[in-house]
Amino acid sequence: MNAGLLTPATERFLKGAAGVLVLVALWQASVPLVGLEPYFYPSPADVWHAFVELMEKGILPVYLVDSLYRYLLGVGLGIVLGIAAGLLIGLSATASRILTPLINFLFAIVEVAWIPIFVIWFGYGFKTILIALVYVVLFPLLYNTLLGVRTVPQVYVNAARSLGATRLQLIKDVILPAALPNIITGLRVGAGFAFRGLIFAEIIAAKTGIGYLIFEGASTQQTARTIVGMIVMGLLWLFLDRCYLKPIERVTIERWGQVTTAEDRE
Amino acid sequence: MTRLAPRLHDLALGTLPFVLILVAWFLLPHLLDYPSYMLPSLGTVIDRAIGSIEDGSLLENTLASLQRLAIGFIIGNGVAIPLGIAIALNRHVADTLRPVLTFLQSIAGIAWVPLAIIWFGIGQGAVVFVIANTIFFAGIYNTVVGVESIPNTLYRAVRSHGGKGIQIFTELILPGALVQIILGLRTSMAYGWRALVAGEMIAGTNGLGYMSIEAVQWYQTETVILGMILIGILWLILDRLLFVPLEQRTIVRWGLIQR
Repeated sequence: MNAGLLTPATERFLKGAAGVLVLVALWQASVPLVGLEPYFYPSPADVWHAFVELMEKGILPVYLVDSLYRYLLGVGLGIVLGIAAGLLIGLSATASRILTPLINFLFAIVEVAWIPIFVIWFGYGFKTILIALVYVVLFPLLYNTLLGVRTVPQVYVNAARSLGATRLQLIKDVILPAALPNIITGLRVGAGFAFRGLIFAEIIAAKTGIGYLIFEGASTQQTARTIVGMIVMGLLWLFLDRCYLKPIERVTIERWGQVTTAEDRE
Repeated sequence: MTRLAPRLHDLALGTLPFVLILVAWFLLPHLLDYPSYMLPSLGTVIDRAIGSIEDGSLLENTLASLQRLAIGFIIGNGVAIPLGIAIALNRHVADTLRPVLTFLQSIAGIAWVPLAIIWFGIGQGAVVFVIANTIFFAGIYNTVVGVESIPNTLYRAVRSHGGKGIQIFTELILPGALVQIILGLRTSMAYGWRALVAGEMIAGTNGLGYMSIEAVQWYQTETVILGMILIGILWLILDRLLFVPLEQRTIVRWGLIQR
C-alpha cells in the first residue's frame, strides 16, 4: 500500500478495518462449506436480517436503553457508595484493620454467586439486577479507595495539617487526589466486571435487555438474534470503555500524576 | 515476639466482624419474624454443610468446578500465549487483528453461554467452552500488548550484541512481555472464575454454580449460602496461593508490578 501518503494512525485503522472485513467474509464463506442448520451456525447475512428485524420492530432500541439504564444506575450507585465507604473506613487506621479481611472476603464472593440469593430475596427483576450491579462495583472501589487512602504518605498529611488545613480540606485536597489513581483502577475493574454481571443478571432475572436478547434468542432457536445481542454488547462495551473510562483515566494521569498500567513499566 | 504480636493483633481485629456477623445471624431469628427460607439459621447451614460433606456431594461439586476451571485455563492460555506472541511479532498482522481481538475480548465469557448450549448441549462441553473462551481472549490480548510494549531499541541492542533467533525470544521477548502476560493470567482467571460460576448456573449439570441455582427452585437457601461461602473461600485460596506468589516472584526477577 502507499504507506507514504497515510499517517500511521490511518494506516492502522485501514488494516484493522481490513481485518474485520476479512473475518466477516471468512465467516460468510464458511457457512455453505460447514453446511449446518442456520440455528446452529447462522451466517452474517442471517445476523444482518435479524438486526434489521429487531430494529424495525423497535425491540433492540428498547432493550439497549433498558440495559444501559440498569448499568449506569448500578455503576453510579456503586461508585458513590464504594468511594464514600472507602474514605470513611480508610480515614481510621483501626477501622481499616478491623474491616479489611471482611471486605476481602466479600470481594471474593463474586457477584454471580450472589444472584441466586438475590432472586430468593428480591424476586426476578429490576431489584435483583440493580443490587447485583451495585455489589460488583462497590467492592473493587471500596478495596482500592481503602488501599489508596491507607498509602497516602504521612508527610503530605502532616504538611497540610501544619499549614492549617481543616479535616475537610485535608480530605478534599490531599487524601482524595492522592488516592485517585487507585480509585480509577477500582473503577476500571468494577466497570468491566459490572458489564459482564449485567449480561448475566439479565439472562437470569430479566425480561428485557441485551442479556435477555442473547439468552432468549438461543432458547427459541433464533440464534441470529443471539449473535446480534452479542455484537451489540461488544460495541456497547467498547463505546463505554473508549468514550468514558479511558478519557477519565487519561485526565487523571494528566491532572494528578501517573496511574500505573502495565505498559508504563520500562 | 515484636514481629508476631502486631500480626496476631491484626488477626484478632480482622476476625471481629466475622464473629459479629455470626452472632447476629444466630440471634436474628429470635429478634425478628421472617420466613426461614429467606435466611435459614446458622445451624441449618452448618447441618447442610455436614450433610453434603458426608454424602460426598460437596466434594464432588467442588472438584467438578475446579477441574473445569483447570481445563479451561490450560486450553485457553496454552493456545493464547503462543498465538499472541506470533501475532505480535509481525506489526502488520498485529495491526490487522487488533480490532478483532479487542472486540472478541469485550464479549468473551458469559455472553457465549447460550451459543455454547446450542453447540455443545447442556453440561461439561458448554461450560468448558465458555471458560476457555474467556481465558483465551484475555490471555491473547494481554500477550499481544506485552510483546508490543517492548521498545525497539531493546531489539537493536540485543541484535547488535549478536543475539539471534531463539536468543531474542528467550532473552528479550519472553521476559519483556512476561509482566503483561502474568497480568493477563490473573485477569483472565478472575473473569474465568465468574464465567465458571455463571456458566454452571445456566448450562451446568453439576458444580458449585449448579448447586446454588438448583437450590433456588426448592427454596433451599441454606445450600445457596453454603455455595456462596465456598465460592468466596475457593477464590481467596486460588488467588493467594497461585497469583500472589507468582507476582511476587516476577517483581523480584523482572521489576515492579503495581496494582
